[in-house]
Amino acid sequence: MSGASDGAEANWILRHPALKQMKELQVGDSEQIHAAFLVYMDLTEVRRWKEVSCVKIPDLQAVLLEAQEKDGGPVHTILPLPVHQSLSHRSICQALDRGFPLLLCAVASDSTLVYQRMTDGLVTPDPPVGPFEDVGRRQHRKRRQQQQR
Amino acid sequence: MEAELRPQEERSHAPVVGLSLCDSAPLLWRLQDLKAVRSEGLVGALLGSLPRTPRQNVRLGRPLLLLPEEERLLAERRGAAALPARNQEVAGGELQEHFAEEQQRSFEEQSVLALEDRKSALVRAMASSSGSDEVLQRRLLDLEQNFSFPRSALAVQLSTARAGLSHCPEARAFLEADWPIRAQHCPRREARFQVFRDLRGRGFFLTSAGKFGGDFLVYPGDPLRFHAHFIAVCLALDESICLLDVLCVARLGSNVKKTVLLCSPAPDGPVRYTSLRWSGMV
Repeated sequence: MSGASDGAEANWILRHPALKQMKELQVGDSEQIHAAFLVYMDLTEVRRWKEVSCVKIPDLQAVLLEAQEKDGGPVHTILPLPVHQSLSHRSICQALDRGFPLLLCAVASDSTLVYQRMTDGLVTPDPPVGPFEDVGRRQHRKRRQQQQR
Repeated sequence: MEAELRPQEERSHAPVVGLSLCDSAPLLWRLQDLKAVRSEGLVGALLGSLPRTPRQNVRLGRPLLLLPEEERLLAERRGAAALPARNQEVAGGELQEHFAEEQQRSFEEQSVLALEDRKSALVRAMASSSGSDEVLQRRLLDLEQNFSFPRSALAVQLSTARAGLSHCPEARAFLEADWPIRAQHCPRREARFQVFRDLRGRGFFLTSAGKFGGDFLVYPGDPLRFHAHFIAVCLALDESICLLDVLCVARLGSNVKKTVLLCSPAPDGPVRYTSLRWSGMV
């Protein structure tokens, strides 16, 4: 009984229609497809993103995902990659050239997912949040007193 | 004819900066050179110790060390030239002799003044106590014969403004001789230079980003006025980068509130930039 259920458990990924779709794209090795599947499950089941689908683009040997965070929200391109794999700036640019904001997702061997936003061009960082207090000499005096003690 | 004249005209407008080469390091010593270079948006790094505040690393003084990219940019604009290397030993020997003479003269002057001081102090002391004039004269004579001004009491003047640094011949044509550029052509250096030139052309100020594990820190204006916005990592478009390294540098960037910029010069001109930002997706 347990043996059969274990077998069924192990095979459920391989029988999942989404995985079959990804395989049909015929890009990416089995590790990358597995990574793409994990990200697919995370986006659909955990984060409840909408319209999650798998796509491919010429020149890039990897399965890409396309999804919206909310209904009617902006479409994102997601690039899932196993963490030990390497990539080139060119492949990132190719994924960005689709015209949608890109999320790079690194998939660790324990299935931990780390998302990283990538944008074309120079994006100024958010400024530090105020209100700002001018500490003045108070801090220096306090520090010096502490040192003397 | 015209082609020959035009470059000369252009040259006469832009100031030419004099580099002192210390082995291969391009250094700027003269104040007008540092000002000229800063006004062109090149920051460099100060290396020297300030004579009045020597034991600290927060505020440093001349010379200014240029980044290889800054040096190369100046070379492209024909804005720098190597200064003729002066005969350092001769100059040093002269300075030492001069200094020793000054010290000796100062010592003699100070001895005389110290003796005068002691005599007048003695006179004042004797005047307050009712002693005879003879005793006073005898004691003054004693003092004069036995007085010696110790060398350790000598007040030494440290000259903090070195006139020698500012005085260099201004022969422009002579200065514009080429200096040997350490042309080590490797793709990474080339990429760095292309990125540097592009960002400088857009008005950013760049310094080296050793503290942040990147190639350059990119400031929207003078570094004295702004915090850096970007950490620039320069790589070739097809260079293979480990995903872990990308995550590492992106995480660092988000911790220090700077955007990490992946920069790659494209063979057909424009440099491609990709900004990495924290996704906020826990």
